[in-house]
Amino acid sequence: MIGIVDYGSGNVYAIANIYKRLNIDYLISGNTNELQRATHLLLPGVGAFDETMRILNNSGLKNFLDEMVLEKKKPVLGICVGMQLLAEGSEEGDLQGFGWIKGYVKKFDESLLEQKPHLPHLGWNTVEIQKVHQIFKNIDHQKGFYFLHSYFFDCSHIDDVLGTTNYGLTYASAINRDNIFGMQFHPEKSHLNGLTIFNNFSKI
Amino acid sequence: MLRPRIIPCLLIKDKGLVKTVQFGDGKYVGDPLNAVKIFNEKEVDELMILDIDATIQKRGPAFELIKNIAIESRMPLCYGGGVKTVDQAKKIISLGVEKVALSSAAIENPRVISQIANAVGTQSVVVVIDVKYRGGVSSAEVMSHNPVPFARKCEQLGAGEIVINSIDKDGMMNGFDMKLMKEIRDSISLPMTILGGAASLDDISCAIKEFGVIGVAAGSLFVFKGKYKAVLITYPNAEEKRAVLSNGGFNNY
Amino acid sequence: MINVKFENQNKLGKICTNCVMDTTDSSIYFDTNGMCDHCINFYSKTLVSWEKSLANSDTFNKTLDRIRYYGRGKEFDCIIGMSGGIDSSYLVYLAKEVFNLRPLVFHVDAGWNTQVAVNNIECIIEKLDLDLYTHVVDWEEMKDLQLSYFKAGVPHIDTPQDHAFFATMYNFASKYNVKYILTGANYSTECVRNPVEWMYYQSDVIQLKDIHKKFGTKPLRNYPLTSILWHKLYLPFIKGIKVIMPLNHFPYIKSEAMQLLQDKFGWQPYPQKHFESRFTKFYESYWLPKKFGYDVRKVQYSSLILTGQMTREDAIEKLKQPPYNESTIHQDFEYIANKLGITIKELQTYFESPNKTYKNYASQESIYKIGSGVFKLFGLENAGKR
Repeated sequence: MIGIVDYGSGNVYAIANIYKRLNIDYLISGNTNELQRATHLLLPGVGAFDETMRILNNSGLKNFLDEMVLEKKKPVLGICVGMQLLAEGSEEGDLQGFGWIKGYVKKFDESLLEQKPHLPHLGWNTVEIQKVHQIFKNIDHQKGFYFLHSYFFDCSHIDDVLGTTNYGLTYASAINRDNIFGMQFHPEKSHLNGLTIFNNFSKI
Repeated sequence: MLRPRIIPCLLIKDKGLVKTVQFGDGKYVGDPLNAVKIFNEKEVDELMILDIDATIQKRGPAFELIKNIAIESRMPLCYGGGVKTVDQAKKIISLGVEKVALSSAAIENPRVISQIANAVGTQSVVVVIDVKYRGGVSSAEVMSHNPVPFARKCEQLGAGEIVINSIDKDGMMNGFDMKLMKEIRDSISLPMTILGGAASLDDISCAIKEFGVIGVAAGSLFVFKGKYKAVLITYPNAEEKRAVLSNGGFNNY
Repeated sequence: MINVKFENQNKLGKICTNCVMDTTDSSIYFDTNGMCDHCINFYSKTLVSWEKSLANSDTFNKTLDRIRYYGRGKEFDCIIGMSGGIDSSYLVYLAKEVFNLRPLVFHVDAGWNTQVAVNNIECIIEKLDLDLYTHVVDWEEMKDLQLSYFKAGVPHIDTPQDHAFFATMYNFASKYNVKYILTGANYSTECVRNPVEWMYYQSDVIQLKDIHKKFGTKPLRNYPLTSILWHKLYLPFIKGIKVIMPLNHFPYIKSEAMQLLQDKFGWQPYPQKHFESRFTKFYESYWLPKKFGYDVRKVQYSSLILTGQMTREDAIEKLKQPPYNESTIHQDFEYIANKLGITIKELQTYFESPNKTYKNYASQESIYKIGSGVFKLFGLENAGKR
């Protein structure tokens, strides 16, 4: 049962629709009791770091997710801002992130971008796999994924880097430590590649 | 490497899809939902949907339609038409749309760009600038504004993308207004999308050759076929897309 | 989630010993050998006429000459209705490459095109360098009319699409004085016709208007209308507009046609006949068999059996599988409901409503009966349609 965490941010319906299409059981909820049933957790996210973190803190979801992920070791996938929340903090805001994967979220340095456009990083780009993992099985790497962000995750440990993308610099566009996954791009808007990621995630 | 985007642009009027010529009367194209479903199956890079009579009819965005469209879309969506407030923008994003497009609202009340950017993030705010040349004078105007300083202002206010829509070229299928597009490209560093006048995939290649990573949007090209302008949804397949990009000098795909 | 009205479509008594039509066609009858009247009609009438057509290439060639002659100096010499399905796609290929005609390809968009259909049309007209004309049916009116049919509880809920296809083509031909309409109708895959009980005459405009009057909420201002008298009598006999079915004059083996189109044009096949329309797929694979017990595969397979393109054993085997995809049907159900602007629950209500027939509404059935009799008398109609 895939638990799509609904905390008012992110594309819950698009993700739900994908699981519906894949005939995989899912639930959308912001309620910790309901989310207990989930075997896998999805943390979508769109918008600003602090705003999203604040909602998670206030709703009790932060503590709940800490327990599910760190103690119960349920697989969790953070998408876009959802991935950034896995960090210790962000240049974009003042609040602390989950800190499940060591690192800090920074804004792209525009001076590194030789040609226009600059920010946000918008469009289809490729992900170079740094660690072989079943979550990227059967992906068409040439097609890549859809990106839409101005901040990136600066990983402290190279072991946590699952995939990288080049945009001015080479940065971690996918991260992983044990049961914890983060993807900077939007698999729910990346056609077949995205469907494959969600399917692969459900099998972990 | 980041790729140029090829974007079908659909116009909605009276709940149906239409295709206009120079923003005049539209030819009926059919049900929006089926068109979206077909574009989704064709795996388009991105889809832009503009409700063109929302503002005239003084109504807000068609949320029910947006919801149904988002359910069918596994591709990024940009929706515009009647968006004037932060709440409307937030609701649209929550329904599963990546980007909200502002047009008349950005002109009437430019501060709304910042307000919406603060609420949903800069990356989700698009400003569509409709440009028409007035009289025989070579300076283009946006309603009563000059597009170049206006585009810069939008960038400063927190827009994440600018779409330049040439009214004169709309539906004419005789090529993009490259001079106008270049002027805008030179003045801002935001992601940019050009719209209006595409007649063939070659026009798209030319735009890529000139601008590199850019969004190239088209309405008529992907919705009409042949000399009778028969309504037929088309989009380059993977092989054709590769050729379009490579003809534009982009060989990394 | 989705209730089922007919648990096992294959129960119900007798099945023909020659094809796979059975007593779900309530007016079927069998001879002493257990052969049904569809087969009897085929062997005694249809086959005779068809073999004559195939043998008599002279008459057909003369028709082609006439088409080319009357088309001289004009932009095109005939129109071909193309859905993107195998019959019409193959016909377009034959018309251009084999018959050397200059057709205008005519497509009616009723709002339910699949991506495959649209792609198939594009591939073929592109590679054959043909002109395309599309008529887009007003979706708001189409939606309302389709909902009327759901509410009417009748089996023939695909009439709004079918009626629109023909009406549009006839209207176009009449308006622009196009003398020849080519259609992909054929004996090879359609010699057994859907019983009228399953699919009542889509051209019966009296029935359409009655159902619309009772259940519609929007006036039919833009929806294209035709009538049986207009297109079977007025158009051919007064205006001289002829409908030609070339696939009956030319050897047509479905599997070979599909292979040729795939090889030459990159044409993509569909899982079943008529599946180029999302609605027709839902209607024929789910709604009709599950609500009424009418499985059109029996009609389609029987045609292929009679024309030697499928074995009866193969057909029986295939019929053991449900006609729809069990793992995705709930998505289709939801899509249909969303597109029609109703809730899943509302669609479910129509599914569970009492089954009605065409007899519950006004009709011109008597004209069809008389007309059919007259045409058969003159040998002008040979495919049995009851």
